[in-house]
Amino acid sequence: METYPITIGKITRHVPVVETLPGVHIPLVELMGDVELVQAAAEALVKHLPASTDALLTLETSPIVLAHAMSAIVGKPYIVVRRKRRPYMTDPIIQEVESLTLGVTETLWLDSRMAEKLLGQNVALVFDVVSSGGTMMALEKVAKKAGANVIARLAAFHQGNSKLPITFLSEIPILQTS
Amino acid sequence: MGVKTYPINIAGVHRELPVVQVGPGVAVALFNMLGDTEVVEEAAKALIKKMPADIDVLVTPEVKAVPLAHALSRLTGKPYVVARKTEKPYMINPVSRTVISITTGKPQLLVLDGTDIPLIKGKRVAIVDDVVSTGSTLKGLSDLITDVGGVVGVVMAVFTEGSPRDDVIALGHLPLFKPD
Repeated sequence: METYPITIGKITRHVPVVETLPGVHIPLVELMGDVELVQAAAEALVKHLPASTDALLTLETSPIVLAHAMSAIVGKPYIVVRRKRRPYMTDPIIQEVESLTLGVTETLWLDSRMAEKLLGQNVALVFDVVSSGGTMMALEKVAKKAGANVIARLAAFHQGNSKLPITFLSEIPILQTS
Repeated sequence: MGVKTYPINIAGVHRELPVVQVGPGVAVALFNMLGDTEVVEEAAKALIKKMPADIDVLVTPEVKAVPLAHALSRLTGKPYVVARKTEKPYMINPVSRTVISITTGKPQLLVLDGTDIPLIKGKRVAIVDDVVSTGSTLKGLSDLITDVGGVVGVVMAVFTEGSPRDDVIALGHLPLFKPD
């Protein structure tokens, strides 16, 4: 299996390289199940967290452990936006994720009980990997609909050529087959 | 009309859970650990005191119990594996089981990535979940772990719900409610 080295702080992982489109290969990073990598990323990212941050905002699934670890370090709460409607949700915020190439690809859901906690709060968005930025923009819209101010956009990894206003720790290349 | 709540105490942390209707004639105290770092960390500290010493690995179903598994893994140094609810295109030789979920009433897939199976095969496993209710997820996950050669040594949860059960090590119990 082809692998690619990914490093955060003192932690290096040789992650599998997968072909996502014909000729396009990307290193596949998974935070879930990797406590060391998550702790290293959390410790590095909290240094970029503005002091005025009230809460972290993330979405399921993989970045949840990163948000949890950051929350445990800095003592600020985090809120998880869901990718599916849950039966208990009442008056959820509903936000479609739009992709330039694929149209609407998925929908984000935030229960009103959680959205109420964001009103007037300064929030930092937390991601594992940001690539096109479509999901990031959708999460930002969820934050705005809930009445929060997005004051930081933090990611463990950035992938691709997009110029996005994010703070990230490590670049993941897109590998083309020649 | 006020919102009905149910008070809980988890390892010294107090919370008021909203009581919400999830189906005809049944309501539950909604326990959602996602985003509640204090509850997750305190529950993890309390659960490791009850964890048998011979456990090699933790297995948790996606999504709500994942931070608890992360915290337990960090505290004990034992690895954890997440059973996903969908098969991902990047998985290699995934193994799956279908269960009927009580919260949605729909068939729910549980999937282990083949690359995680060496962590489970021949090992003693602690299943980690947030709430064990009917046990349908638990049964499916147990069968899945057995399928790939693991031995379920213990089941640990923050709460059991509904009928009391002695096959789960939990920190508390949640009753079921009748909707108003």
